[in-house]
Amino acid sequence: MYLTKEEERIYDGEHGWANQICMRILVRLGELFNATKLIPVSSAHVAGVSYKTLGDAPAEFLRALANANGKAKVKTTLNPQSFDQEYLSRKLPKDIREKQSNIIEQFRKMGLTTSLTCTPYYLERPKPGSHLAWAESSAVVYANSVLNAWTNREGGPSALAAAIIGKTADYGMHRTENRQPNVLVDVRNLLQNEAEFGALGIYLGKILEDKIPTIQGPNNVSETKLKQLGAALATTGMVNMFYYNTQLEREETEKISVEAKDLKRTVESLSTTEDVKVDLIFIGCPHCSLNEIKQIAWLMDGKKVRSGTRFWVCTSRYVKEKSEKYVKRIKNSGGHVLTDMCTIVSWTEILGIKTIMTNSAKTAYYAPTLNKAETVFAPLKQCLKTALEG
Amino acid sequence: MQQITLKGRVIVEGRCKAEALVSTKPISFLGGVDPNNGKIIMKNHDLYGKCVKDKVLCFPHGHGSTVGSYVLYSLARKHLGPKAIINQTADPVVVVGAIIADVPMIDRIDIKQIKTGDTVEVDAHNGLVKVLKNVES
Repeated sequence: MYLTKEEERIYDGEHGWANQICMRILVRLGELFNATKLIPVSSAHVAGVSYKTLGDAPAEFLRALANANGKAKVKTTLNPQSFDQEYLSRKLPKDIREKQSNIIEQFRKMGLTTSLTCTPYYLERPKPGSHLAWAESSAVVYANSVLNAWTNREGGPSALAAAIIGKTADYGMHRTENRQPNVLVDVRNLLQNEAEFGALGIYLGKILEDKIPTIQGPNNVSETKLKQLGAALATTGMVNMFYYNTQLEREETEKISVEAKDLKRTVESLSTTEDVKVDLIFIGCPHCSLNEIKQIAWLMDGKKVRSGTRFWVCTSRYVKEKSEKYVKRIKNSGGHVLTDMCTIVSWTEILGIKTIMTNSAKTAYYAPTLNKAETVFAPLKQCLKTALEG
Repeated sequence: MQQITLKGRVIVEGRCKAEALVSTKPISFLGGVDPNNGKIIMKNHDLYGKCVKDKVLCFPHGHGSTVGSYVLYSLARKHLGPKAIINQTADPVVVVGAIIADVPMIDRIDIKQIKTGDTVEVDAHNGLVKVLKNVES
């Protein structure tokens, strides 16, 4: 791999241990994937933030890096943590709260933005064609597919290394030749609501391996539906991007046919129970956009959440502040709009939540193992029908 | 004593001589190795219950969450980590883990040539793995 004089000096440790270790990570990963050089990135997004999934081990490394003066050189956002500051944190033991705060503190010292969201693209939309170093698989697929920004699916540590060096190795999704669609999926007559887009992602993720699909589906599809599709594709597969309703240049492309019964079976597999008495109804995986919050407020329209049922909407602090009047309406109906956290990496078991209903295929896929919860998977409208009285 | 030398690719430089612990299965450090004692805790794993401490740990490749890299760092800091890692095919999680934990690592080695209990000399400056076999065994 070719390194500039300055990059070599960092590699040799002239800029301290933190920079050296980060440079070594980038160079060795680059060599592994046959990169020939490093390229600058316009932003980084670091995953691996929740104390629940991280445990104690990473905190030591993060502290060592922060103490050795590791500092982000480009704008770097952070994935959600394991609780929000207002609602959940009060119900958790002090020990958990402190360990989570300690992790966030190390990131803060390194100059990362404590955005605590899985949808950094709602805070600042990356420019088309820009190179990024993002972790968080749902954001990676969204960036590559919907925003046409270029990023590999970084791991937590490699995204952090890229943040501190301000560069990433030039391989994979950073190269034009690796961004060509190579399989056609025709679902024009199949998809309706966002839950079905998610289910399609779960189904395709399992069979696509690392191929890039071009999906031919209904026209005028919202970015929200594509967000659900991408998050689910990344949940079960290696897929880093998809094309939606773009023309194929080559005729001989492999075709995959998806039948109505495949989709139906996938939707059904994402529910583990038919119980209508759910403990939690959860919307916001990935985090809700302003439009989604608006739509939820609209659909709740003065109705009340049933007693004994929790209704959570997860989003970023940024979007919550922008949608204040809708947040108020959701609150008045008895719902909670929670920021900074992700339900699947939060402490739902401690709250006694045993059944989760959601419109997110990603959550429905992970909740049985990560939250030890039964799941009911349904589109937003049906989730709200279950949540609300009357 | 019988001796074979295998040549692979250097991932992290270093040298050591220690006993081999060999698995035919991939290892996920997150959820697969207990960060408090270095024991393999993944059920149905061929190394279940074995401790990686001070061993030359040989396995085909890693898998699972990137948090696994941090687990390797944590093990090394507590002196519970392996002396070296030998892989068939290096994967990003183990590579990053070995770099931050400063554990010598070589890949592109036919690990079938190494058996648990063999004494192994790792020269991870030149990518050499010297396997010293006890002929009687």
